Amino acid sequence: MLFLISKRVLAACGTVIAVIMLSGTLIHLVPGDPVTAMMAQSVSATPEAMAEMRAKLGLDLPIWQQVLLYLGQVLQGDLGTTIRGNESVATLLLQRLPNTFALAVSGLGVALAIGIPLGFLAAVNRGRIADTAVMIVAVLGVSIPAFWLGLIMMQVFSLKLGWLPVAGSSWRNIILPALTLGLTYCALVARMTRSALIEVLNEDYIRTARAKGLREHEVLLVHALRPALISIVTVVGLVFAYLLGGQVIIENVFSWNGIGRLAIQAMLERDYPMIQGFIVVFAISVVIVSMLIDIVYGFLDPRMRHR
Amino acid sequence: MKKHHLRKNILALLAAVAVGTGLSISIAAAADLIVARAVDADSLDPDKTSTTQSLQMTNLIFDTMLTMDKNGSLHPGLASEWSVAEDGKTYTFTIRDGVKCHDGSVFDASGAKARIDRAIDPATVNPDRSLWGPITGTSVEGKVLKVSLSEPYSPFLSFLTGIQAGFVCPSAFAGADFKPIGTGPFKFVSWTRNDNLQLEANAEYQNFNPLIENPGKPHIDKLTFKVIPEAVARMAALRSGEADVVEPSLEETTDLKSDSNFKIYAAELSGQQVLAAFSWKIKPLDNPEIRKAIGMAMNRDAYANIAFEGLVNTSNCPVAPKLFATDDELCATWGAEYDPDGAKLIMENAGFTAENPLKIKIIAHKLSGWDQMHQIMQQDLAAINVQAEIETREVASHFDHMTNENERTDGAPFVWTMGMSGVDPDYLNLLWKRPGFVNMGLNEQVDAMLDEQRRLSGDARAAKIHEIEKYLIQNTYTVPLLSPGWNWLMASSAKVEGFKLGFMVSLLFNDVTLKQ
Repeated sequence: MLFLISKRVLAACGTVIAVIMLSGTLIHLVPGDPVTAMMAQSVSATPEAMAEMRAKLGLDLPIWQQVLLYLGQVLQGDLGTTIRGNESVATLLLQRLPNTFALAVSGLGVALAIGIPLGFLAAVNRGRIADTAVMIVAVLGVSIPAFWLGLIMMQVFSLKLGWLPVAGSSWRNIILPALTLGLTYCALVARMTRSALIEVLNEDYIRTARAKGLREHEVLLVHALRPALISIVTVVGLVFAYLLGGQVIIENVFSWNGIGRLAIQAMLERDYPMIQGFIVVFAISVVIVSMLIDIVYGFLDPRMRHR
Repeated sequence: MKKHHLRKNILALLAAVAVGTGLSISIAAAADLIVARAVDADSLDPDKTSTTQSLQMTNLIFDTMLTMDKNGSLHPGLASEWSVAEDGKTYTFTIRDGVKCHDGSVFDASGAKARIDRAIDPATVNPDRSLWGPITGTSVEGKVLKVSLSEPYSPFLSFLTGIQAGFVCPSAFAGADFKPIGTGPFKFVSWTRNDNLQLEANAEYQNFNPLIENPGKPHIDKLTFKVIPEAVARMAALRSGEADVVEPSLEETTDLKSDSNFKIYAAELSGQQVLAAFSWKIKPLDNPEIRKAIGMAMNRDAYANIAFEGLVNTSNCPVAPKLFATDDELCATWGAEYDPDGAKLIMENAGFTAENPLKIKIIAHKLSGWDQMHQIMQQDLAAINVQAEIETREVASHFDHMTNENERTDGAPFVWTMGMSGVDPDYLNLLWKRPGFVNMGLNEQVDAMLDEQRRLSGDARAAKIHEIEKYLIQNTYTVPLLSPGWNWLMASSAKVEGFKLGFMVSLLFNDVTLKQ
């Protein structure tokens, strides 16, 4: 087990360093200059003032030098300061990371709470109406854009019914975005759960269990669940990564004060340090979750410990 | 009993999660006003920002040295009196007695000096540094602040009324971190970036702005700005009562206009001007006749009434209405009238026919109203044998792109659009004096005229500004289109009374009351 954990931690570190360097390089290929963005509405943006600003921010250095400097800073825990406002990127991101995780976990909870039972229902009723109905719901869930669903939920629950607030970061505000994310990703959970369970239910040991006269719920819950869990855990990891990504838009729709909103604002303003900080924090979050999932595999399936 | 305990435990758990994740529960009191905006301020330090969204916030916290009425005349502000030396190089301001900063410290002439010194210090890296003019030094004698300039700079007094010139108290920048401490109508309470900004009324406030009626403390107690990026969500917040004042989308504004539960505010004193300009260094747009024909084809009434839903006005001058020396009727006599037939004839005489159209680009940035305007413009140009391809970018990329495009002397010709705002026609200087904003500067003759208008004052300056405007319009270096054109609309519920929009779309809440 220790071997598995060490291997995964090393791979995670390598991935994060690669992401830092890649983001530092790619971001300069995007059209648009941060100083022009900063001074876009300023009538006094003389070339001299802009050059002065560029030099102060280190943007006049060669890209490779900026990237290496950035890597060194990040490894020391310094994500730089924002171009607009001159605030610490790390502080801003860390202030909002709990909100982002709270929403991601809530969305995941909703997705699992709806998706797993639906997947089970479809698997045990394979080929019947219930299975078809669940699959239709799953296709719809995958097809409906999250932002559209979010706006519809807002119109219904906030505007028409007046039950929930439209925007903000109080505990009542988490309900609608969590439901939106959960409903969007429960389809994926349901499909994966169904496939995993169908595969397990076709195994010889399940036929043996049934032949021995075990009741169906015992077969499902005792003998089919644990093997199927490995695939479901994979889905959890996948969905969590998707949720973090999809959340960037949902945070904007519901004005949820997470790192996704900071990222969008930074992208519009070409605030390079903030965009890079977001990519690094996002990558670290996904890598940590993937690593934890791999470790959980090891507990669930002893064969994984030696791969 | 067990159920009761369970419920209590769940509530405690929820509360713990709320605290642990930094979430907050906000409860609005009766005299609170909630404003929802699309974009947050990027800084509350007026020397570190140049965006309208930021300066709208700093203008609530910081007062200005002078103020301006709706006719463009100057009035006292933090300075009760002011004078200009005959040579136009020395300004004196008598700082008002009894003005207090939000932290209780006194704002006096030394404070005003420290503020100006900071604004012009190269170490501050103030994006609006050049607007302060060629200041060479400041000094204080009792209540009097003296500002010396290296050469006359007529826009100086107008600038001192603007939202870029908020007077920060010295205690704001005494430490390493900037604190938003001013003398304005609202005190800073808290700011969660990209989420909300909370201000409270300054109980000791004395108003001198002629656009405001209330002489003292604002009527509302607490002012909260929420950031709601999505227009649909902002409108939902307004309709559900979650916000009292919002920035509406252009599309929603037309719906709200016909609903008695809401009010619409369009800034009349925005100082904003929307212009079309040309790649005049590239053939055939180096020919003023061709540029004139394109200007004659532009149906500005359609842009105002269709693209902007009748919420803006057409404009004839390169400078926005209501600013010093702007005379729209006079400018109209210099510009070519809308005449697509005449324009087509000019194009045909130049060899551009339906079979051999002039191919150009319309380069623009994405913005509500503007996108529709460019589509109509494309049709207008097609009618005079000009085949235009629309190329749009986000605002930051657009100006970056234009900096390079305006340097080109060959390749595909283009028409481009832009907007500029200010409180003085001196922004002509910043646009058209070489190299100019995004390299749009023109020539030696224009540079000389622009420099001269800064050295003149009163009628002589007005005449020089008219001369510059005439040159720009008659040579069709620009076609004035509309005013205003961005961030100029606000909407509120009908219970909000007394809300106003000032110069450069400043938000004036001093007179606001909430009808129960």
